Amino acid sequence: MASEEKQHGSGSVEPGDTSQRVGMEVIRERGGDPEEIREKLIDAIGAEFTTYYYYTNLRTHLAGNEDYKEITEDARLEDRAHFELVMPRVYELDGMIPNDIRDFADRASCPDANLPEDPTPENILEVLLEAERCAIRTWSEVCDMTRECDPRTYDMAQRILQEEMDHEAWFIELLSMERDGEVNPAGHFVRGEPGDAPYSKNNPFNESA
Amino acid sequence: MGETTYSVEIVVPEDADSERAGEVVEIEVGEEEYVLAAARNEGLWLPADCQQGWCTTCAAELLEGEVDQSDAKRYYEVDDDEDMTLICTAKPRSDLRIRSHQHREMLEHRAEYDKPPGKSKLG
Repeated sequence: MASEEKQHGSGSVEPGDTSQRVGMEVIRERGGDPEEIREKLIDAIGAEFTTYYYYTNLRTHLAGNEDYKEITEDARLEDRAHFELVMPRVYELDGMIPNDIRDFADRASCPDANLPEDPTPENILEVLLEAERCAIRTWSEVCDMTRECDPRTYDMAQRILQEEMDHEAWFIELLSMERDGEVNPAGHFVRGEPGDAPYSKNNPFNESA
Repeated sequence: MGETTYSVEIVVPEDADSERAGEVVEIEVGEEEYVLAAARNEGLWLPADCQQGWCTTCAAELLEGEVDQSDAKRYYEVDDDEDMTLICTAKPRSDLRIRSHQHREMLEHRAEYDKPPGKSKLG
């Protein structure tokens, strides 16, 4: 028979205790390390944020190649969407983004996507391609860390990974033709409007974050 | 004539988060191959993230030998001075012996010399 006293608590977190988060403890109980995941997420969205910035510059230097500019704009805005998607998760995991943007950039998990010294379309496309490849590796790592213990972060990471893989395929197609004159199709250019982000914006976690 | 290959001994620390913790694994690595990729191809899963010599997740200590680290996006003279290597972008230039799983040590080393991402990661 249920107790007369209504029980709100569960596990080791006392009812009403706001100093702990069940949302973190359930990860720990399943063998995950919520603090390690959180710090990895800060690095990963640092890379999304710096990539958004650097792509802005790269895109402007593709003037005259309007098809390349359009695709770069999709990738640029979708990378910003990735930052926006995951940022609230950092706070849910009892963290915060760095107060100093220099720290955020320094700890970004991917290199700065600088404008090449010789900013030809070919060289810019290579920078874009390698930036996307880094993002694929990063989000694959996040998927590995969270697959068995943190379905909420895993869901975000796998959605982002879907779009990063799209981006890699786009830049392989464009670079192959620009540099080598080879047809190497992505098989898809599926965006409706710039930065459509069909996986990471189709069901946002937080519109107002 | 085939590519020159080098023998690379990888010491996996006892406390490493790895199924191979405590083992010494020997692999062959071509002069144009990166140590990380060669290890993973041989079934030794070592930590890494960006694989562009930037994030330092793959850091290792170079116990013996020489590597070409010129493909790394962020590698400093002080790293070389202290025998720290980023194996994702390290090509062997001799037989090697390395200690893997040195990310934390690399961050502390970078912080000591005020190089990124040391202090930004460690606070």
